[in-house]
Amino acid sequence: MDVNLTINKKQITLNLKGNETLLEVLRDHLSLTGTKTACQESECGTCTVIIDGNATLSCITLAANVQGTEITSIEGLAQGDVLHPVQQAFIDYGSVQCGFCIPGMIMSSVALLEKNPEPTQKEVEYALDGNICRCAGYPKIFEAVHAAGKKMKK
Amino acid sequence: MLLNPLTLHLPKTSLEAARLYKELEDSKVLAGGTFLLNSMKLLKVKGTKTARNILSLAKVDELKGVSLQGDTLTIRAMTRINDLLETQLPDGHLKVLHTVCTNISTNPIRNMATFGGNLTCRYTWTEMGAVMIALEAKMHFLGADGKEEIIGAEDFFKNAARSEKLFTHVTIKTRMAACAAYRRVKKTVHVDVPLLAICMKTEIKGKQWYNTRVGINNGVAFAQRDLALEEFLNKSSSSPDLGKEALEHLTTAIYDTRSSDYKKHMFRVSLKSAIEEISLSS
Repeated sequence: MDVNLTINKKQITLNLKGNETLLEVLRDHLSLTGTKTACQESECGTCTVIIDGNATLSCITLAANVQGTEITSIEGLAQGDVLHPVQQAFIDYGSVQCGFCIPGMIMSSVALLEKNPEPTQKEVEYALDGNICRCAGYPKIFEAVHAAGKKMKK
Repeated sequence: MLLNPLTLHLPKTSLEAARLYKELEDSKVLAGGTFLLNSMKLLKVKGTKTARNILSLAKVDELKGVSLQGDTLTIRAMTRINDLLETQLPDGHLKVLHTVCTNISTNPIRNMATFGGNLTCRYTWTEMGAVMIALEAKMHFLGADGKEEIIGAEDFFKNAARSEKLFTHVTIKTRMAACAAYRRVKKTVHVDVPLLAICMKTEIKGKQWYNTRVGINNGVAFAQRDLALEEFLNKSSSSPDLGKEALEHLTTAIYDTRSSDYKKHMFRVSLKSAIEEISLSS
């Protein structure tokens, strides 16, 4: 079936099967491989994208089911060569270890900060509770989120 | 692909959805997808056949949202857990809905999972069943002929959470004199595998409890009431010892079925603390 999707502000029409997940479409059809594949069962958060402002798991989202929504993947955050404040803060604060969870962490953080640029520590932990970091690098990630929020508020 | 081939149906109205719900063979309803799609992936891995037709309610706008009219709160089936969490609720026992939503899974799941999916997915472990029973919710279903059917949440779960009609919304009365408490226990501190949930609602005059409802989810059976405990509480008044005394009046079969000693203990701790919370608030 023909499916119309809006991904990173671009309208795309793809011929998809009903059983294709948004994660499969991003990676296999559009080569947007920043969104990572890991558990594929909604446990780890590496596949997080933003749909209509909310952090959403692309591994359990059928692509044809999200027609008419605004989808943002990690590739849609930077403006040309200028990184999104959250991406920049993750670099500045040394928040990346192996890096595999980071696209998901950043997407969840952006969704939070767009709504609430001055979250409390508890609110950050609550918003990122679906993103697992196997390196356990949470303190630096949380620092980056707070710093990015301050920058976004300005 | 991790899912078997399927045909996705995307109705735009609840009546169209209700008709498809009746007509489609070998079908499943897709609400938020957090339960259905994961189980379909798991079944595919096991080599088990999965539903050929998927009836998605994502585009049925009339099934979304929460509203308060007069003394009735309406929660529609496709309201997402985080949307319910962000809804301003009237003071009193309905605030317990926020406590329930806060405790459901993780943030991206709460962004996707729906109220209706949680209630009707026919998985014996879900949060909303016991809560809807305690809050005396009425569940509304729509038939293919456009006729509405209303069933009490308790009866729905007694019927093993089955209906031939499409679930559209619940209505709950906003009794301002009522108060409620909710407890949910996980198997371990670190991993969110649910063990049990209880929801208790009562109305209090002076210190006397009446119209008490206790909804229990033991994770083994569908949510149910503890009638013996309700009967005891309805003859009681709030006091510091009420929680302890109430533990002598439980329907033990509900708590003991396939329960470890830890689970039985946590049931008692949870019931006692819920009763104490209500006693203190009165």
